[in-house]
Amino acid sequence: MLQSRLAFIGGGNMAEAILGGLLASGYPLSQCVVTEPLQARCEFLHSKYPGLQVLSGPQANYLAVNGSESASHTAALVDNGSVHINPTAASESFSPAEVVILAVKPQVLRGVVTDLGSTLHQRQPLVISIAAGIETSAIARFMAEGASSGSSGSDATAPTQIQHEDLPAVIRAMPNTPALVNEGATGLYATLDTTPAQRLVAESLLGAVSKQVSWVDQESLIDTVTGISGSGPAYFFLMMEAMEDAAVKLGMDRETAKELTIQTCLGAAKMAQSSSDDLKTLRVKVTSPQGTTDAAIKTFEQGGFRDLVAASVTAADSRSKSLATELCGPGKESKL
Amino acid sequence: MTQQEQHQGRLAFIGGGNMAEAILGGLLACGYPLSQCVVTEPIQARCEFLQSKYPGLQTLSGPDANRLAVQGSKSATTTQTLIQDGSIQVNPTAASTDFAPAEVIILAVKPQVLRNVVIDLAPALRALQPLVISIAAGIETSAIVRFMADGVDEDAIAAGSVKLPPVIRVMPNTPALVLEGAAGMYATADATAEQREVAESLMAAVSKQVSWVETESLIDTVTGISGSGPAYFFLMMEAMEEAGVKLGMDRATAKALTIQTCLGAAKMAQLSSDDLETLRIKVTSPQGTTDAAIKAFEAGGFRDLVEKGVTAADARSRTLAKELGGAKL
Repeated sequence: MLQSRLAFIGGGNMAEAILGGLLASGYPLSQCVVTEPLQARCEFLHSKYPGLQVLSGPQANYLAVNGSESASHTAALVDNGSVHINPTAASESFSPAEVVILAVKPQVLRGVVTDLGSTLHQRQPLVISIAAGIETSAIARFMAEGASSGSSGSDATAPTQIQHEDLPAVIRAMPNTPALVNEGATGLYATLDTTPAQRLVAESLLGAVSKQVSWVDQESLIDTVTGISGSGPAYFFLMMEAMEDAAVKLGMDRETAKELTIQTCLGAAKMAQSSSDDLKTLRVKVTSPQGTTDAAIKTFEQGGFRDLVAASVTAADSRSKSLATELCGPGKESKL
Repeated sequence: MTQQEQHQGRLAFIGGGNMAEAILGGLLACGYPLSQCVVTEPIQARCEFLQSKYPGLQTLSGPDANRLAVQGSKSATTTQTLIQDGSIQVNPTAASTDFAPAEVIILAVKPQVLRNVVIDLAPALRALQPLVISIAAGIETSAIVRFMADGVDEDAIAAGSVKLPPVIRVMPNTPALVLEGAAGMYATADATAEQREVAESLMAAVSKQVSWVETESLIDTVTGISGSGPAYFFLMMEAMEEAGVKLGMDRATAKALTIQTCLGAAKMAQLSSDDLETLRIKVTSPQGTTDAAIKAFEAGGFRDLVEKGVTAADARSRTLAKELGGAKL
């Protein structure tokens, strides 16, 4: 079973979802460390996961990735205010991270990774990024920038050139919100220098909260993953909302309309998952000619339902691509 | 009769098609006693299928099958006589050829034959007063009641000297086949609370959501939402998969991610106390990818289109109900 030393850089919802899913499947708590700048969020994580090592402060990320040499080393950093720790954590000394999960907001990722450049270069963990819109080449660039400027004894006028192959391997993940209920759908892209073993690690980590994990062979398809599963839950929320409203308009009470709609969505998905039939066949099988379902489907077709869905998926894919361009330049505001 | 006994009462399925089998299978999986169930089914091959899938299940076919299922058999000897004269065919491996009258009847025949089936059973139903549950689309409870009153003087019924069994109408849906059904139910005024509970627990064997409607006309709306609804989501998923493929993704990946996204969204919605609008807003950062997609949906009139589709199914359900020959889902 995977027991690698795991560092979450950023302790937001998705990080917590993955951590929670891992712990629920038996991942050792003592092998996890989370860094999180917001005090209130730290306290929340402390209370929800007693004994979890949560770090904040200027040296938190460095310590999480590099490890602490000893309890006294950590204590010294705490004393000089470089780091705040969870007082109830199992131990104050821990080993370097073998896997680093970048879970910070896309707009701060560049700064975070640049600061960590040297230690990432030195420790060579597997780097998994769940930040939307940040390409693996950009992450590599940020690591190189950070490692070059951070190399000890470097001449300021001739910074050491860090070779790409000397940098840690990067895997990019596009998970989705249902990971919060352990029902995620996640797309993964691995750079060419990742090993099969590393790919397996990423798969099992994201698999802790995802029921579907799919690899894509070109990074550009991560934008398409975004258009399908990344943003997709909202499409179904909208569909269900529209069905619920339609039923209410026809005289049904809202509660009943909501409950029947949601279970219909769930049931359809379950049927699709457990059947070997394709989606068209599933639909045709339940659509008797001239029946009620036929009436609805004909209405959808005549109203351009398919094209509308295609246009929306494409809009999300396009927006993902343009965000990637926006985010990888200097000083740009990022938006998901 | 205690509630426990009622929930394990003698159960007759009139018709052994997919939905009947789904309900039976779900009940058996929940521990319902096989010996308390009987299924009538005219197609021999279908009988044999049910016999092999549920060894020991009492299946009946032949001209007297429905009546025997409802009335029960007086004795093994009586049953033998009926077999010998060709009135019924039984499952040779069934536990017993001697069984009690049905306490609950599930009408699972095709809508277009229901009228004749119920008229044929009418005297037995009036005599024995089981709970009658209909899963036939488009057949109103008033029609079923009328069929059960066949041959009886209207005045006698009005005067209350002839009592008709209560009828509960159910609109289930196909995901019942994977034990994930959504069902709407309507009961005639004479159904007791206990009978409603019995019907509910039977449908709960295959449905994760069972909802009562207080006006029968809302069964048409149930049809528009959950009855026909699975097809709407199949269409949505098909369109998303196709869009993924057009953008360069391989079909298997597009399909798998799409379906799990549908499932995940539904699970989140079920587990959350937030309404659907709030759930959507929470995952839609301004100017982001999701926002771009949602804006495209809205600009294209998605909500109106969905409303139109649901309304079309509801309207078609009403029209079909009027045609006594029955509805097609």
